[in-house]
Amino acid sequence: MLLHSTRATYPAWYQAALDLDFQLHIRVDGLRISSFFYERRKEAWAIGPTIIEADLRDTPLMDACAAEVLKQVRTFKASSLGVILHIADEFTTAELKPALDNPAALPDLRETAVRKPANILGDSSIPPEQNSWRVLPYPAQGSGVIGTTITITRKYAPFLTAFRQAGESSNFPIITHALSAPLVAIMGLAQSAQFEPGKSSVAILQYPWFSVLAFFNEHADLLLIRTLQHRHLRQAPNLRQALTTTYASLELIEPDLFILPLSLDLDPSLNCYLSNAFPLSRVAMVTYSTPEVIPTWCPEPVIAATSPSKDELAPSLTFSTFRSEKWALQDFLPSDRALIEVYPSRAEMLLLWGLRLARMSLYTLTVLMLAWVVFGIVDIFCSDAWAFDPNQANVIKGRLGNLTNQYQKNEHWDNLLADRSKAWTSMELLSRLFPEHCGVLVKNFVHTVRPESAPGQTKIGFIKEWRITGLARDEAVDRLNTLNTQDGIAALFGEIARVTANPAFNPTVRTRSLAINVRTQENSGFKPLPVEETFDTDESTYPFNFDLTITQRFEATDPLSLNVSKSP
Amino acid sequence: MNLYRQSIAMFGIVLPALGCVLFIALGFTLKSQMLDSLSNKQTLFESFKRNRTKALEIETKITLHRPQISHWAVLLAEESSSAVNTHLRAIAETLPPKEFQKTAFERNNTKAGIGSATAQPSSQLRIVFRGTFRTMQRAFLELETCMPQLQLQEFRIDPNPNPQIPSTLLNFQVNYTAWEN
Repeated sequence: MLLHSTRATYPAWYQAALDLDFQLHIRVDGLRISSFFYERRKEAWAIGPTIIEADLRDTPLMDACAAEVLKQVRTFKASSLGVILHIADEFTTAELKPALDNPAALPDLRETAVRKPANILGDSSIPPEQNSWRVLPYPAQGSGVIGTTITITRKYAPFLTAFRQAGESSNFPIITHALSAPLVAIMGLAQSAQFEPGKSSVAILQYPWFSVLAFFNEHADLLLIRTLQHRHLRQAPNLRQALTTTYASLELIEPDLFILPLSLDLDPSLNCYLSNAFPLSRVAMVTYSTPEVIPTWCPEPVIAATSPSKDELAPSLTFSTFRSEKWALQDFLPSDRALIEVYPSRAEMLLLWGLRLARMSLYTLTVLMLAWVVFGIVDIFCSDAWAFDPNQANVIKGRLGNLTNQYQKNEHWDNLLADRSKAWTSMELLSRLFPEHCGVLVKNFVHTVRPESAPGQTKIGFIKEWRITGLARDEAVDRLNTLNTQDGIAALFGEIARVTANPAFNPTVRTRSLAINVRTQENSGFKPLPVEETFDTDESTYPFNFDLTITQRFEATDPLSLNVSKSP
Repeated sequence: MNLYRQSIAMFGIVLPALGCVLFIALGFTLKSQMLDSLSNKQTLFESFKRNRTKALEIETKITLHRPQISHWAVLLAEESSSAVNTHLRAIAETLPPKEFQKTAFERNNTKAGIGSATAQPSSQLRIVFRGTFRTMQRAFLELETCMPQLQLQEFRIDPNPNPQIPSTLLNFQVNYTAWEN
């Protein structure tokens, strides 16, 4: 619907014809057909297309006429067209049911007249499919009835339908409106007739085939409308009698008479005739002021299309309600309700339009979100992790396990095979403790290594002990005393570590401790001899015995501590 | 009037919205599943990279120490006592016979000393020598360098017990804990 129709974009589809910017007013009075274009914004009138009687009645000609009108309208660059048909060739009234005498029910009666006219009409014999009724109220107090109905035949309905169909087929908004020309003319009396306050009046609307008599009370409110058919004469034959009887029934006393000639070729003597017939009444000819292109006898298009200025106050309630409540502007030939309901309403078209925007936004949002999802998926596909074969994780895990096992095995053996205790380094220690000819005779050397007990530990420390006993001469005592200090033994161990490259002798490691204990005693077998008579292996030439013990303790946290576990 | 409002709302927004929601939900579900899968793979991948780096590091270390480890493997493959004797014979050929004499050799398969403190299999070797100080030191240097699995347990050096017969030869007794494979 949105794609194939302009109903969503052109609000004119849902406006009244009289509210559109470009209007075509056609007036049919039975003798001639007048048409005028009206540009509402410019308030400009122009002569309309030529329409003949056959155009109104012959269906093929109706379509051609509508097409031609549409073609002309497009030259004005109009976006819509309101076709207002002023029906001035017929006007009859039908009385309401006498029971309907409640003025407050007029709005409901107005609706019922459109939908089910038989419910409100006093005469139910008139076929509703051939006629159209509209309620017209009588606002004047004391009129006896609350209003009447105006009856128009549906003979011009096909003509208006042709215009609407032309608009539908060309997707151009054409809205039609059928007005009763006499009602419009009566509404226009407010601006054209000089109502004298306190004086009742009668408006005589002369049309070619009939005259309409509108009776007003002293407040210029409508009391009654009557129609007098001309019966092929130039004026109603029973006008005087009709006026007289109506005066009597309405109790009007010498009312003013307003004569409105609303066609050409009317009887010009009516003014004289009425002046003579009712010498005490003021008889006045009423003419409308119209634009140049519109004749004065054809005022209905101007009255219907334009609104009076605020300065032109309505002289009575009748004229103000006729215009404000559009009693005189009722459409007698509207579109069939079933056809109207084929198309969505304005609100529905706006809803369609709004939902289309919402849908586009929704689709855009969806596309964006899907694009975001797709980009995310592409990003996932492009990641290194996505292409990764999970089996490789197990493979490398197994490989790492094997390597770790191998490494732990290597570390284990590296620990076990460390230079922890060696015989040759202990011999180097002994030789550097007591170099040759230092005045010491070593009697016994014992070196032991024992582990420290540490249940539950992964590593254990150990204790290395050197015990040396021997004899010493005087010159060796100082050396023994020097060794018997922390610095002295540490210096010696440091020297051994350096020359043997054996890390076990390194005294600077904090996780190991070094202790020395030297006990010196006099040699009971000592025999003092001159130096030249002594030799190194003679124990009696040594005045002292000594007992030297070195203890080196390695803690469990030492780099050389021992693994408790078995090789993995 | 407004006969089509419900239809317009249904076909104009409700069904398209449901379709869009369905598409979006499908997309999000697919992505969510892929993200879950990616997360698992990411975890495995990170683990793989971590393990690979560790493996490379360990492999580098193992490669660096491979000659040493291979040498150890050869050493440990041989039974310790026979290996010691083999080495001692080889050492004896390079040293003066009078300055290096093996006088006793005992092997004990029971654990003792350092060996008793660990779960690693070990054996005890007791060897007695007679020789000069420096020659024996050279011999020990050779033996202990060739056989790092020997951990000195006890070491005694005693002079010749007979002072009437002065000699440069000393008695050496060593107890080794020999690690076994």
